[in-house]
Amino acid sequence: MSYLELSGLQKRYGNSVAVDDVSLAVEQGESVALLGPSGCGKTTTLRMLAGLIEPNRGTMTLDGSEITQLPAHKRNMGYVFQSYALFPHLSVARNIAFGLEERGVGRAEIAKRVEEALALVRLAGMEQRRPKELSGGQQQRVALARALVIQPSVLLLDESLSNLDAKLRDAMRHEIRSIQRSLGITTLLVTHDQVEALTMCDRIAVMHRGRIAQIGSAEDIYERPATRFVAEFVGRANVLPIQRDAQGRAAVWGQAVPVEAAANADLFVRPQRMRIVPASEPTGDGMARLTGRVLRSVFVGDHVEVLVEGAGGQLTVEMPSGMAAPTEGGEVAVVWPRAESRVFAREAP
Amino acid sequence: MTASRRLPLLLVPATLFLFVVYVWPSLGLFRNAFNEVGPTGAMVEAWSLETWRATLHDSFTIELTLNSLWLSSMATLIALCMAYPVSLFLFRTDSRFRGLLAVVAIMPMLVSGVVRVFGWLAILGDRGLVNTTLQSLGLITAPLRLVFNWTGVTIGLAESIMPYMILALLAGFGRLDRTLEEAARSLGASPWRTFWRVTLPLSLPAIALAAGLGFVLSMSAYITPKLLGGGRVFVLATEIFEQATTNTNWPVASVLAIYTLLLLLALLALSNLLARRLQR
Repeated sequence: MSYLELSGLQKRYGNSVAVDDVSLAVEQGESVALLGPSGCGKTTTLRMLAGLIEPNRGTMTLDGSEITQLPAHKRNMGYVFQSYALFPHLSVARNIAFGLEERGVGRAEIAKRVEEALALVRLAGMEQRRPKELSGGQQQRVALARALVIQPSVLLLDESLSNLDAKLRDAMRHEIRSIQRSLGITTLLVTHDQVEALTMCDRIAVMHRGRIAQIGSAEDIYERPATRFVAEFVGRANVLPIQRDAQGRAAVWGQAVPVEAAANADLFVRPQRMRIVPASEPTGDGMARLTGRVLRSVFVGDHVEVLVEGAGGQLTVEMPSGMAAPTEGGEVAVVWPRAESRVFAREAP
Repeated sequence: MTASRRLPLLLVPATLFLFVVYVWPSLGLFRNAFNEVGPTGAMVEAWSLETWRATLHDSFTIELTLNSLWLSSMATLIALCMAYPVSLFLFRTDSRFRGLLAVVAIMPMLVSGVVRVFGWLAILGDRGLVNTTLQSLGLITAPLRLVFNWTGVTIGLAESIMPYMILALLAGFGRLDRTLEEAARSLGASPWRTFWRVTLPLSLPAIALAAGLGFVLSMSAYITPKLLGGGRVFVLATEIFEQATTNTNWPVASVLAIYTLLLLLALLALSNLLARRLQR
């Protein structure tokens, strides 16, 4: 049995289902991301785990004992809120001490642990400040320290970085990840930002419409998406409608492609897995190929995006920026390893 | 002239109106406070502090002041104890009846004070709802004296200021963020501890605002103490009216009116100071 297990969790609000059926097992010390667009039920799942809302169905167990009915204040979950939720009427030190005070920890012990927690998030000396006197990043650290100081069974991060600017967010990602690793604390992170999920977590659960669409390592999710939704949501993909040619083979842009012909399906290929070669070059072994015309190439810093147009659509190829960009309007062939092709059925409208 | 420079013209009608019905009489009031009362009881034009001296040295004035302060404090306290939970509920609920409930809560504002007082007489009187019920249940033998005394006035006042206090609390609850309570819960605070350590401290500014308003309204209330007090309850407001109408003693009425105003301004300043302290 895993350290933390969610099984068959469901939460309905009237007729709408926020979380349909979520089951998840997390090992001790593991960091798992719930990744998905807004409204996919990831925050609702986290709140159920913290005891802030009650599930309609399903159970949750922590370290072998069931916690489904346990009130929030007895769950020992360290929750870091998106808005940080620091108590505005209390100093930084009192904010961090809050959970310890509620646990009846002695004064001297509280002082010591608050100091340690502040040192951990590199905010020593800020004890007497009020939350509103701190920058967003500092407030974020106080919220983290407040959640960590109670030595929670699980650390819950609810879009905790989304209110920071991009640079700070990057730094905090690594900081939280290293704290999480050094303390060996089991972490569940809710985010809509795939980079956050990829960089901060051991495993990622991609959520869609109240369910977990796929769970696995960052590589699993990215390289072997299980559903069309995962393929579209994580990373970028060229989505090419598959038709059948006169011989009944699968075709894109009227050109045969080496995939299984399926009705109402699309071919997915990551733009970075594609290469542009002269149209005259023969197709290599194990490669798939489409020919088209270069519409334009755009320099995006670390890579060049080349937009290629064929009969019936466009696709994007990402080339390393060191390479010579193909001339616009020129006929080219786009090639990619066959193994990089994925076929997903079109969703019923 | 540009449009924005003409904008203050919009204030002219209200200013003229208020000047005629409010500022001018107030100046008259101020003037009267320095007149004297002659031996016949008629007002004598003067610039003297005699009325002030006599009124402020009168032990009855002290008694009236204490009565007013005590009555207002009690009414405010009782109203606050009832308005606070109601406001918190209205602030928090996502019931679709929220709007309706808010209207019901402030409905008493829409009823005339006199009508409300007669309602209380019907409920609290010797043969009123409360006494007949208690008697028929055999809980009491003689009716409880619930009106024409301080009890009745306090109940009536508390009820009449409650809607205003509910509105003031709702307006003041701005900082009361539900997430903060959730944070407290997740940190191990029980619902009761959460209320005590987070909800209540954060609503103190709203409480100060509502209490200040309730207190001022109680101090200046006339109809309720007059009618529910049955001539046995004396406060500053009733005395001012008595002096002005029954005794036609304008100087004393004016002095008491200004005295009450100054008292209220001082109390408001105090409550403002307190609220600002709490806000930080």
